[in-house]
Amino acid sequence: MNSKLVAEDLTCYYGNLCAVDSMNIDVGNEIFGLLGPNGSGKTTTVLMFTTLLEPTKGTASVCGIDVVKYPKKVREQISYVPQDMALDVRLTGRENVRFFAELYGVSRPKEMTDEVIGVLDLAERADDYVKTYSGGMRRRLELAQALVHDPEVLFLDEPTVGLDVAARRKIWDHIRSLRKKGMTVFVTTHYMDEADRNCDRIAFIDKGRVRKCDTPASLKTIINGDIIVATINGNFSFSNIPDIRFIGQQEDEITFLAHDGQMASELIRREVLSQGLTLHSLYARKPTLDDVFLHLVDDYEDTRPINMSRFRNMMGKR
Amino acid sequence: MNAIIIYCVRDLIRWFRGKWGFISALVAPAAWLIFVGLALPVTFTDNYLAFVTPGILVMTTLSASMQGGALIIMDKILGFYNKFMALPPARESILFGKILVTTIRGIIQSTIILVLAFFLGVPVYSPAQIIGVYLILILFGCLLSSITTTLAISVGEHDNYAAVTAMITMPLFFTSSAMMPYSSMPEWLRIPAHVNPLSIAIDSIRDVTAGLIPGQSILILVILTIIVVSINVKMFRRVKL
Repeated sequence: MNSKLVAEDLTCYYGNLCAVDSMNIDVGNEIFGLLGPNGSGKTTTVLMFTTLLEPTKGTASVCGIDVVKYPKKVREQISYVPQDMALDVRLTGRENVRFFAELYGVSRPKEMTDEVIGVLDLAERADDYVKTYSGGMRRRLELAQALVHDPEVLFLDEPTVGLDVAARRKIWDHIRSLRKKGMTVFVTTHYMDEADRNCDRIAFIDKGRVRKCDTPASLKTIINGDIIVATINGNFSFSNIPDIRFIGQQEDEITFLAHDGQMASELIRREVLSQGLTLHSLYARKPTLDDVFLHLVDDYEDTRPINMSRFRNMMGKR
Repeated sequence: MNAIIIYCVRDLIRWFRGKWGFISALVAPAAWLIFVGLALPVTFTDNYLAFVTPGILVMTTLSASMQGGALIIMDKILGFYNKFMALPPARESILFGKILVTTIRGIIQSTIILVLAFFLGVPVYSPAQIIGVYLILILFGCLLSSITTTLAISVGEHDNYAAVTAMITMPLFFTSSAMMPYSSMPEWLRIPAHVNPLSIAIDSIRDVTAGLIPGQSILILVILTIIVVSINVKMFRRVKL
């Protein structure tokens, strides 16, 4: 594999808190997704790769260049779009991009600016003040800034957070077309469905540790079976049903994992009714990345007090 | 184009387009000049406006620097820092860009004061004197803006920074030689007034306008600027995101 990003034993501590713990990843020419809940170490990883934060231990390299030894060379190869949008609202879209083209030292800043603005469908509004841009347009403008020097590797930290469905889809369309042109894209997100549809490979991270790294398709085969979801009234108490695993209750929804969805559904229906609860709906489905993630971090989840809110986050409620 | 200039031009455009920040920066010093220069009943000179103009020039540089220091905090709060730090140019160019834009802002404001002062009856300086005055103001602007950016970096938050500058500005101005000569000051004020860096700049401008060359004061300003800038660079490198 043609390695673009390599992390070996990459570790970062904030005081006593271990944000990233002995990470080993090898990213080639692909869309690589780093997935995990808020505070799992995604941003810290990106900060180390983009030379904004020095690793406590281990090494990281971009296109074979060590991020600690040659930070300036690394910065010439990459672009970084942080999670929090930062654009000069008193400048026009074109001025915002031109500003970055000049900072990158692009050889023909004017032409390159016009080109990326065209690619990201911003030409029509390019001379309006950014003040008047929608969230989706602002995000695309940030992508334009990042692409103006044609980087080898593009880092996107939560690129679709806070955007509506159409804007999110548009961003991902652009990301995929970059990949086709041969750019490596390293993207963090906590939206599993988007990663499933768009990433070539995914690494699950939780509490700073990479739990699993593979293609979305093979990750989903980790869960051998079906997910059963029931909507009920009241509190469900799980007593042992053979071959069925109780995942949890979230408000009125209870979730299970079983090898055979059909059979398990029937057993669950009986169990719910025998507890005197009302059953509103019951269905079985194939596992999604959400389920895989919860499955992988299951052991850690149980002991944590914010269990349910994290679960909700993982289930993609926005 | 040099990254320092690029960062500086960005801030200048934002300042002009911000309208009110720009307008207030032009009106406020003029108000000082008129109300202090023309209204105070003073007996030690018949042209108080001519006496107080160097003081107002330096005070304007001070307040421009105080406002300029906030720029670096706003960039940090609004997330520009993260983006700029991941760019190829040397990171110090962000800092030098701020010092440059703050100094330029101060110089633009000072120019308005000077023109207005000449218009209101201050004897017009010779070209050599004007060059001298600008030299001192630029030097002093660099010194003050690197002090305020250092302060901004170490204080970190915007409201804290505003509180600290509000606390410093007024005492600094009134314990300087801006308003009155040392001979008219009460005894207790003379020592603080002499060591006040504002007085060094004000006295040098007065020397220049009187036809002298204040070599020693300029040397002190140069040395102070070099020291503060190097401290500034050191602190800037340690800034947490």
